[in-house]
Amino acid sequence: MRHPSEGVLRRLVDEPAGVTDDDRAHVAGCPDCLRALDSVRADADLVGAALAPSGSADADAAWARFSATASAPAAAAARRPAAAAARRRWSTRMGRPAIAAAGAVALLTGAGVAAANDWLPIFSAERVDPVAITSTDLVQIPDLSAYGDLEFTQAPEPEQVADAATARERTGLDVPEVGDLPAGVSGDPSYLAAGQMSATFTFSADKAAQAAAAEGEVLPPPPAGLDGSRLRLQAGPGVAAVWTQPTGVPTLVVARAGAPTVYSSGVPFETVRDYLLSLPGLPAGLADQLRSLSTDAATLPLPVPAELVTSSTADVDGAEATVLTSRDGLFAGVVWVEDGVLTGVAGSLSADELLSVARDLG
Amino acid sequence: MDLVRNGRSAPAAVLTFPGPLGRVGGVGDVPAAGSRGAVRPDLEEVFRGNYPRVVAVAARVLGSRDSAEDVAQEVFLSFGRSAVPAEEAGGWLTVAATHTALNLLRSGRRRSAREELAGDGPAVVPDTADLVITRDERSSVRAALARLPHKQAAALVLRHSGLSYAEVATALDMSPGSVGTTVRRAESVLLKELNRHASPE
Repeated sequence: MRHPSEGVLRRLVDEPAGVTDDDRAHVAGCPDCLRALDSVRADADLVGAALAPSGSADADAAWARFSATASAPAAAAARRPAAAAARRRWSTRMGRPAIAAAGAVALLTGAGVAAANDWLPIFSAERVDPVAITSTDLVQIPDLSAYGDLEFTQAPEPEQVADAATARERTGLDVPEVGDLPAGVSGDPSYLAAGQMSATFTFSADKAAQAAAAEGEVLPPPPAGLDGSRLRLQAGPGVAAVWTQPTGVPTLVVARAGAPTVYSSGVPFETVRDYLLSLPGLPAGLADQLRSLSTDAATLPLPVPAELVTSSTADVDGAEATVLTSRDGLFAGVVWVEDGVLTGVAGSLSADELLSVARDLG
Repeated sequence: MDLVRNGRSAPAAVLTFPGPLGRVGGVGDVPAAGSRGAVRPDLEEVFRGNYPRVVAVAARVLGSRDSAEDVAQEVFLSFGRSAVPAEEAGGWLTVAATHTALNLLRSGRRRSAREELAGDGPAVVPDTADLVITRDERSSVRAALARLPHKQAAALVLRHSGLSYAEVATALDMSPGSVGTTVRRAESVLLKELNRHASPE
């Protein structure tokens, strides 16, 4: 019989039982294969040694750090209820570069108007539509830095404020007033305020080509003028009222913010969108969803983890709202955009309860 | 962007990402991450039981304990918000740490391998009697790892992190029969790098 492949020999090193009896019998009686097996084994050992980590990690110290910072469980959250909870949401969701990239691509693709030479508003969110993202998508989407440089020109600096009046003073936005609190929600909320945020994204053909090469792909040639073109992303300011259980878990959050807008410095936005969507690394299903949404310049795609959350729509005082419900039924949220202002209501309540809060907002 | 390195310091970028998620998340109004606010009760047990291994997986990729611990923190954050059953946590965490660390390795944002290794253990780490890997070689291997196609690199790291061929195949959506070939190919590429930089025998 012919000699088994190097892949078979490689498996023989680790998992002899995973190799067929015929192959094993052949190798055992074939001097060539035994020599090859030795060399495959030596190579594997050498690579294993080169990759071997040194020392061992201290799980106790790491847990202390972990629980004290971003993923603070109830105990830590209770110390700084709203701020900790808000920060946890930020850092958890934003901490995934893939999610960040999906968010940016989602935002970038929401526009469709050609731009002039100066900054020109080309996208302004008027409604929200969910985009289903699976965890497989997440590991496939490359880091946003693969496409260019993102520079933050204005930080929102979210902070807890004393009351609704202070929040209004800082942001110019009224904190939505909740009519009747749903059952299970009580007490006074804490208030958060965040200023406007803006950032500039500069597309780099070099960087995108490198990212593609790292994946073993060839970058499609960028359209004329795209390399070095800039987009300005802007959102906010925002305010929120948060009702929290004694354990620090938020039961109800009502928030309002300036909806995101995008400005371009030159290249027609459709060009950027189509090119980004054609880049290798973006899962086809996700690209299709984004492309179908971005036919108008007013729909804000909201990436939603499909395994965890289902989405539907509902009417909130004439605006079409997106209703998100966690599959375990423990949490839900309602979000909509009206006159350039994005409003959201979420909590550990049913979607019906949240919708009735949403429709009652003052 | 530095988002991936937020394990310890949560840089400003994490708090200021402009996008639908940033905006919405910033004011905390939409449950896009599912069960936000709820920390799974088994998190501490899973963390303590798996942390050293997850750091080791990331360190295989990054060659630096500090970066590896950042990756581990991030991976446990994701796990804490996931619905992954506890009995599958080990494999899930290993796979997540591998992808995250590989992405970080090629993001170009990390300090140079040489710089990191300088402060990270002895220059020469004797492994078995005849396997002495120098610091330079470790850093060349990582540079080569960064240039491998993602799937090849991931298969290599997962296999050297103790996943079975069947588990690697499932994690990377490959046929079990092709795992050996993929791992072997990756090892050959890394060894070429190693031999080129190895001290003369």
